[in-house]
Amino acid sequence: MSVRAARVTAPRRSNRRLKLKPSSVLIAVFLFVLSMYFLAPLYWLVVSSTKTLEDLFGTPGLWVGKTLNFGQNLERLFTYNGGIYLRWLGNTFLYAGVSAVVATGVATLGGYALAKFRFRGRNLAFSLILGAILVPNTALVLPLYLLMSRLGLTDTAWAVLLPSFVSPFGVYLARVYSAASVPDELLDAARVDGSSELRTFLTVVLPVLAPALVTIFMFQFVAVWNNFFLPLVMLSSETNFPVTVGLQTWNVGIPSGAQPVLINLIVTGSFVAVVPLLVGFLLLQRYWAGGLTLGSVKG
Amino acid sequence: MKRQRNLVPRNQRSFLGVLTTLTTLIALGTLTGAGAQTPKVVNLTYWNWGVEGTQGQIDRFNASHPGIKVTWNKVPSSGFYDKLSTALKADNAPDVANIELQFLPTVISTGGLIDLNKYGVAAYKARFEPWVWNQVALGGSTYAIPTDLGPMGMLYRADLFKKYGVAVPKTWAEYASAASKLHAADPKLFITTFAPNDAGWFSGMAWQSGAKWFEISGDSWKVTINDSATKRVAQYWQDLIDKKLVKPGPIWADGWYNDLQTGEVATWLTASWGTGFLESFAPKTSGNWRVAPLPSWEAGKPAASNWGGSTTAVTKSSKFPKEAATFALWLGTDLKGSVKPLVKTGAWFPAVRGAMDNADLSLTSKFYGNQAVNRVFKNASRVVDTRFQWGPTMSQVYRDLQDGFGAAVNGKGNLSSVLDTVQESTLAAMRKQGFDVK
Amino acid sequence: MNSSLAHSKTFRRSRRNRIKATPYLFLLPFATLFTAFFLLPILYALEQSLFTQHRSGLGLGTPTVRFSGLSNYFDVFRDPVFYQGVGRVVLYGAVQIPTMLGLALLLALLLDTATVRFKNFIRMAAFAPYAVPSVVAALLWGFFYNPRFSPIVQVMQALGLGTPNLLGPDAIVFSLANIAVWQWTGYNTLIIYAGLQAIGPELYEAARVDGCTGIQMARFIKIPLVAPTLILTTIFSIIGTLQLFNEPLVLKQISNSISNVYTPNLYAYYTAFGNNNYNYAAALAVLLAFVTFVFSFGFLRLSNRAGDS
Repeated sequence: MSVRAARVTAPRRSNRRLKLKPSSVLIAVFLFVLSMYFLAPLYWLVVSSTKTLEDLFGTPGLWVGKTLNFGQNLERLFTYNGGIYLRWLGNTFLYAGVSAVVATGVATLGGYALAKFRFRGRNLAFSLILGAILVPNTALVLPLYLLMSRLGLTDTAWAVLLPSFVSPFGVYLARVYSAASVPDELLDAARVDGSSELRTFLTVVLPVLAPALVTIFMFQFVAVWNNFFLPLVMLSSETNFPVTVGLQTWNVGIPSGAQPVLINLIVTGSFVAVVPLLVGFLLLQRYWAGGLTLGSVKG
Repeated sequence: MKRQRNLVPRNQRSFLGVLTTLTTLIALGTLTGAGAQTPKVVNLTYWNWGVEGTQGQIDRFNASHPGIKVTWNKVPSSGFYDKLSTALKADNAPDVANIELQFLPTVISTGGLIDLNKYGVAAYKARFEPWVWNQVALGGSTYAIPTDLGPMGMLYRADLFKKYGVAVPKTWAEYASAASKLHAADPKLFITTFAPNDAGWFSGMAWQSGAKWFEISGDSWKVTINDSATKRVAQYWQDLIDKKLVKPGPIWADGWYNDLQTGEVATWLTASWGTGFLESFAPKTSGNWRVAPLPSWEAGKPAASNWGGSTTAVTKSSKFPKEAATFALWLGTDLKGSVKPLVKTGAWFPAVRGAMDNADLSLTSKFYGNQAVNRVFKNASRVVDTRFQWGPTMSQVYRDLQDGFGAAVNGKGNLSSVLDTVQESTLAAMRKQGFDVK
Repeated sequence: MNSSLAHSKTFRRSRRNRIKATPYLFLLPFATLFTAFFLLPILYALEQSLFTQHRSGLGLGTPTVRFSGLSNYFDVFRDPVFYQGVGRVVLYGAVQIPTMLGLALLLALLLDTATVRFKNFIRMAAFAPYAVPSVVAALLWGFFYNPRFSPIVQVMQALGLGTPNLLGPDAIVFSLANIAVWQWTGYNTLIIYAGLQAIGPELYEAARVDGCTGIQMARFIKIPLVAPTLILTTIFSIIGTLQLFNEPLVLKQISNSISNVYTPNLYAYYTAFGNNNYNYAAALAVLLAFVTFVFSFGFLRLSNRAGDS
């Protein structure tokens, strides 16, 4: 009776298929298990950040310890070694934020130009940019280091920022989106109105490109936030490290392994390092959910 | 005005003129001279990964040397030498850097360190143990001033040995039999952890056995990593691994810390600086540990070796090598400002002789059951084999040893064969880099 | 609006000139940065790979650097460590990429079904690992693999299944692959899902009229139409896989099964920074880029040909 009723009152929406109950249960279970798989390590991280070192060793991983020690862990994290962790966190925000802003601007400008103008060398430029994604970071980073030291910029923020202003993938996304969403008529209308190219770009094109801007910004922000190899090589003083390099430093420690007290800090530090991005993702859901359409549209 | 001028006699006027001019010139000269010739304060950068007490040393140096200001750049130990060599290649290395004894030849062979002999350091040779000076003075030049050492000893759980009625081993044969007795008494207990991931420890063992991995003969290197002294060490530990009497696993890792804390490991063969680390790793076991000399290969013939130990070197990037050399020398030899304060903080064994007086040697530690720990290591440092030399590719040697031991512990090969492999790969690596190898 | 002005010849010509110059001007910032911080280093690496260091005797001074043409490259061709590293990342990729993309595709298809509740929750859950820096992800999974802490091990011990050695030489490739699968599945799911959203509903209407089941619709409509997206994500995955560095570096601390030269990228890193042999490292990196190119291009060719047939 219920099955037939389900069939009769099937979804009125046209393009979705009808599912029989057993298989939808199966699917639900599968999705549940998969979600647990994705969330389990993060859950472990949250729980472990509340544990004392003893409990970390002593109590089962997926359940809370004997005491809730979160506040103390945070305090120790932020005061250890003169508050170096907060410094690392600040550095990470700086590197990621500034890089993302500049990279987005530069890439969007270039991608728009590649999409909406015909000029000589256009295809060559685009192929070159795409090819750049193939280059392994080891080939780049060491010569970059030598270049930076010629400029006297190693162990400074610039050594991490300048290379991060370059986002070939951002140019690709901007080009794809500009080609797809910026109608030529709009541009022509603006030009006829006597608007300069730059003004056209700023006042007419950018609003249309807003989803792309957010996507490129987010992509570059996450990429720089998570970047490890570039800052590892460029920076030597620990006060300049971002959080990724800092945590790995604790992981390797003195002389060549993490000291016990550091394990607690690594866990709590990892938790704090992950929170900003997760919160950002949650809040900006609208944008990236839509913006990722770009990745699937062929240019 | 005409009249006033005539009031001063002519010769006096010219004298005054000359005087004024001279004074002005001298004043100008002093001002510009001081600005142009030598800066008022020489700024030096110093790389050190954060040995406890470093900031105090630097503050005291700066206070007692008004013309020099040293700034400490804390570069973490992980990747320290990688960063240093890259900085040397780019010629923006720090003026002064802390370099461990085993990696000194490697850094020297980048050409990045200056010869300190021209700043008179050779006069200080007698203040150090001969084996130490041999490791900082190569090929006729002196490249660094030793600061501290790591004479090896055995930290052991006296309470566990007592509990199971096992005598504290004095020879390696006794150590092996203690291993089987302890493990038989408690299957969860192992006499020690065999760590494939720290070749520094293994080289200490080989050194004690009389190994001579590298030797400078004339203008070329001689390499024998698989000599008989090292082979007997490899065979000894392979035997213990096969009999499952030691726990294979990484040290400096959480599993090992836990074993120390819960009493599943009975000894740690380590350097003097290990005493401090052990206290932080296993605070719950305070009072149960003691320090003894390393077991020896022959009864009644104690031999010791060194694990770690640091020096201070001056790099070619330094614009003020003289001041940098002064700082390096001060760090290693100044008893009042540099050496003695660090001895007091504990677990720091100075390289310079005579730095530890009776009071220091009698310092007791509660963690070690009120034993005078320094004395044990002091005695050990006297019997360190003087012939051991480090090669110019220790990073490669260590890595190959570590990779090989890791595979051996997993069942692929044995420790002895690893030595042969590493011998070959070291010869190849050195020849490839252009060193003259016999 | 002065139409006569807008249509005057001079205005149009100057406007055309402006438009002509614009793309170059707009590309200039990117081009400058790109050249300085991308092309220049690559060219420098290429140049460095053509030199070798020479020492003599004890070699205690600065080595001399001499031009040696392609000898570094010949050495890499004869270097078993390089081949072993490449073999490892290829094996790793063969495990990781199909798993990750297969899972991503499956998840995207399932999300595309109306009867799935909590779509947002699942999407967020899948995407959350992407927010985690790969170093932190490796640290986290390191705890999960470490018998001392691992909930997996604890559960298995509780069930009487013994203690698995997830860091041992047999399991390590899968353990490493798992980290990447965990991190990137959600990201790829969303890209594929977005591609699925772009499929017009008329196609489904027509298919339903024809009596297609859900699975048939997936096979004949959805998958073929997101194929371009799948190809793109595969290529990016190949590129990332061949450059594997962060995860083995982090897990090396707790596992005996990961050597210092486990992947080609690690090998290049240690050659450059540990052995101070920048020239050989440059050659390694160039060859790695070449291998990456071969695999990516090869895959693209293969999929195009498959698409044609």
